[in-house]
Amino acid sequence: MSKQSSRILSDDAVILALGLFWLLLYFAVRFFLEANPDLARGMRLGLAFLPTPLFALFLWRFIQGIRSADELERRIQLEGLAIAFPLGVLLLTTLGLVQRAVELNFQDWSYNHVWPFFIFFYIFGQAFARKRYL
Amino acid sequence: MKNGLKVLRAERDWSQAELADRVGVSRQTINAIETEKYDPSLTLAFSLSSLFAMPLEAIFFPNGKRD
Repeated sequence: MSKQSSRILSDDAVILALGLFWLLLYFAVRFFLEANPDLARGMRLGLAFLPTPLFALFLWRFIQGIRSADELERRIQLEGLAIAFPLGVLLLTTLGLVQRAVELNFQDWSYNHVWPFFIFFYIFGQAFARKRYL
Repeated sequence: MKNGLKVLRAERDWSQAELADRVGVSRQTINAIETEKYDPSLTLAFSLSSLFAMPLEAIFFPNGKRD
């Protein structure tokens, strides 16, 4: 394994760990808010923003990881995001139109349900780009 | 882009990982260049040119064949 490869894998492990910590904190806050609807408004808002600093740290390390990656990895990341971003826009605009066409059930199509699609689009974009180059 | 990277590497008995280390990229990048799935940046092309002590046109063949 080349030195560059092992450095990328080490960065990947830290980024993945931060992403998983954020996800765990997100679900912990979400379930806590759902289980405690009587909390004060300020407390609820404070809790809602609790995962944000962790996500900011994840994002910082993710950008650092891309900057330190070699040129092919950067190309793959760029192509992966170039696929994922328009798919995300397509999802939101289509949902907007569907919402105008028919009444969407908030329990099925709220912000809680839409964001996982963006992770799926990113994974799809990555897989598509990696298949092309690797 | 067609290139003679695999031949040049084999002549020196280097693995893909070894060549990758010498020019500061990943083994996957060297493999992608050798299999013509990826064209290197100008910076990497010049690094390879310098490493093999050969001009760019002796390593890379944009017209699809050696001149």
